[in-house]
Amino acid sequence: MEFLGYKREDGRFGVRNHMLVMSSVCCANGVIDAIGRALPEVVTVTHAYGCGYGPEDFVVSQRVLSGLINNANVGAVLVIGLGCEMLKAESLAQSAQGKLAEALVIQKAGGSAATTARGIEIATEFLKELKAQERVLAPVSELVVGLECGGSDALSGVTANPSVGAAADRFVNEGATVILGETTEMIGTAHILKRRCATAELGEQVERLVSDCEKQVRATLGPLAGMVIAPGNIEGGLSSITEKSLGCIMKAGTTPINEVLQYAYRPSKRGLVIMDTPGFDIDSMAGFAAGGAQIIIFTTGRGSTAGFPAVPVVKVASNSPTYNSMRGDMDVNAGSIIDDGRTIDEVGQELFDLSIRVAGGEQTCAEINKSAAFSYLKQGPTF
Amino acid sequence: MKSNALKIDESDNVAVATQSINKGDQIVVSGESLCKAVEDVELGHKVALMPIVAGESVLRYGEPIVQATRDIGRGEWVHVHNTQPIPGDLKE
Repeated sequence: MEFLGYKREDGRFGVRNHMLVMSSVCCANGVIDAIGRALPEVVTVTHAYGCGYGPEDFVVSQRVLSGLINNANVGAVLVIGLGCEMLKAESLAQSAQGKLAEALVIQKAGGSAATTARGIEIATEFLKELKAQERVLAPVSELVVGLECGGSDALSGVTANPSVGAAADRFVNEGATVILGETTEMIGTAHILKRRCATAELGEQVERLVSDCEKQVRATLGPLAGMVIAPGNIEGGLSSITEKSLGCIMKAGTTPINEVLQYAYRPSKRGLVIMDTPGFDIDSMAGFAAGGAQIIIFTTGRGSTAGFPAVPVVKVASNSPTYNSMRGDMDVNAGSIIDDGRTIDEVGQELFDLSIRVAGGEQTCAEINKSAAFSYLKQGPTF
Repeated sequence: MKSNALKIDESDNVAVATQSINKGDQIVVSGESLCKAVEDVELGHKVALMPIVAGESVLRYGEPIVQATRDIGRGEWVHVHNTQPIPGDLKE
């Protein structure tokens, strides 16, 4: 099975051909925003970090931002830094492989106005080159699909997540890769996931991953640990993290787990893999995108509207009231399983078919709305 | 009959309301009427299909998800007011 994608020098394929304008440190955000106002076609990536933190967070920063730069959906990148920060714009731009890349440093370029003007020149040039590139035939097995749930309600695990599981199985059948994350939402299901691992060693890795996460949750939340779910989840009917977790892992479908990855690392295996990401949607998607996911499928009960920079996010509503009241933000209605008597398999097929069309260029609601949220995991102190 | 609640696994002792259920309505799962709702149950929330005694596990997907903190009658709403996460569900 094939789709039309952008071929990259390393043999991977992008489903988009984006020009990224990214800050290396939040102090530079103003310039990135100004370039984005002048050139709405670029994808701006601004964030709250880049300085004032410890070595562990620094390493994760590098891995996430460099991972996003090297995502196959990105055709060109301009990184802008201030000049005195820890995470240097030049080193991020240099980490770009097989694509147009430049760095600008505000303190060297003569200040924000001058940097903005130069940035607009560079981005305009890059956009011109990107427009000349064409899609070519690409195997579906080259797709890496992140699986996310956010704003879950009690129906997420009944309609939307099982439908994603049906789609995930289809992707794996075609030789593609799907990533299950959100380790906090595996708490209480480690024994089930262990059973599903391709090797005993992987089973032990999963068990350790989930139990380390449990310990951290318990240390932070004490007796409330079993309730590590957001107020919206409780209002939606979920009574414990175990209940939520069981519903969540339904997204992964039924195929064996082939790899266990740390946050923001690229899968080396095909099929279903697990990545250690937090339950917080945006940080979790950043892990997937940095790991090379070209598409993210995102189920929601309460109605999350978040997309992600440079990566199309397909939204699956768990229930018809949310789908209908937020029609412009939702791509698939899994609530039709309840209201129209459709089967999980039918909705899974609809989702798979839509994802292939998205791979070939069809825009998701979040893309049309230009709704992109960006944040990534930071765990240490700020200085 | 039109269903208004969903069960995932045969062994589940609760069903999830797929629409707002009013006190007095029949709980209908897969076209079959199983019991009467003794109170309102909102969309997405759970209703007991059989009596659950204090300390007993509530099952969804065939797995324990919470335990009852007091006796729960058939047709009652099941949520954080009459259950708690299973102690020991989270390992040391």
